[in-house]
Amino acid sequence: MIVGNLKPLEEIIESLGDYKNIFVLGCGGCVSVCLTGGDRQAHQLATELDHIRHYKTGKPKFTVHTIERQCEPDWLKDYLTIPENTDAVLTLACGAGVQTMAFFFDSLPVIPAVNTTFMGSNVEPGVWQEMCQGCGDCMLGHTGGICPVARCAKTLFNGPCGGSSNGSCEVDKNIVCAWAMIYYKLKKTNQLHRLMKVREPKNWQPAGGAGPRKLVRPFNKPL
Amino acid sequence: MRYFQVNDQCNGCLACVQNCPANALRAEDSDANRVLSHNMARCARCGNCYRICPQKAIEFQFMLENGWDEVKSLELVYCSVCGVPIYTVDYRRTLSEKLGKESEPTCSKHRDEVTRAAKAHFLKKKSPEIKPDIRSDIGSDMRGGAI
Repeated sequence: MIVGNLKPLEEIIESLGDYKNIFVLGCGGCVSVCLTGGDRQAHQLATELDHIRHYKTGKPKFTVHTIERQCEPDWLKDYLTIPENTDAVLTLACGAGVQTMAFFFDSLPVIPAVNTTFMGSNVEPGVWQEMCQGCGDCMLGHTGGICPVARCAKTLFNGPCGGSSNGSCEVDKNIVCAWAMIYYKLKKTNQLHRLMKVREPKNWQPAGGAGPRKLVRPFNKPL
Repeated sequence: MRYFQVNDQCNGCLACVQNCPANALRAEDSDANRVLSHNMARCARCGNCYRICPQKAIEFQFMLENGWDEVKSLELVYCSVCGVPIYTVDYRRTLSEKLGKESEPTCSKHRDEVTRAAKAHFLKKKSPEIKPDIRSDIGSDMRGGAI
């Protein structure tokens, strides 16, 4: 899932400028699950922003709402009603949601309140870890289900660098060396022969090197 | 079927309500009872409630296994040749409106057979004369000698 983190409050307040009526919009999808941009966080942010101490002149008026996913254009179009006097939308969605909002409500400024950080999993309660960079050419089958693109600090493809020490990464001792994990996982599952295979250089075009990516699926058109 | 199920170990501590990021859980104290409610549309199925519950009272497996809710029941139309169900009466009505005519309900297999039979019949009845489409004003030299 997509993991995001709330921007610093000062940055959000600065980006609100002189807008008087702000529509704070939470997203019920990924950012809700990672406790960043759901309905609860939207209300908490609006409550925090509502303090007069943040503003030199009068404080803006905040209206809060949450839609289940901001990255679904037809949901936004059919089910999201923005109050008439709204000056700007402050969205807690990921980058995909912010852009979908900005596209559909093109007469309104759309302000992001969240930094979209990575694709990851909830490894323990309250902890999300990066697992995937969406490189478009998955090689997890060769690396024991551990991604060197996302989890090696140097994105190395041919084994660990010289900085790997006792299973730790030289970038940060708290980071486990991805290639050490790959080695032990392959050893445990009798797949060490996979490391001996010489592979062609990775094709980075599906990772975005050939421009913005798009997926088109055939759709059964109704009558 | 209720997907969000709580067992008898729940003591109403509200840990789940306070930690639901989607505000999909609500507790109301009315009369002599504390009533816990769940909103399936808001629920992001993150499992926070299940992780946080100190009583292990949330039976999250029902959220993962799911079940099927009947949402609509519509009368069927069957193939007039073999009797397999093909579409609904309402779909047939829409189809007829779009086509501007009623058609015999046939499955894809028998529709093809009917189409083939109709084509064969049509070709037999009106066998068109095949004429070469060669313009007389173009000489063979302009075509490189290959016609």
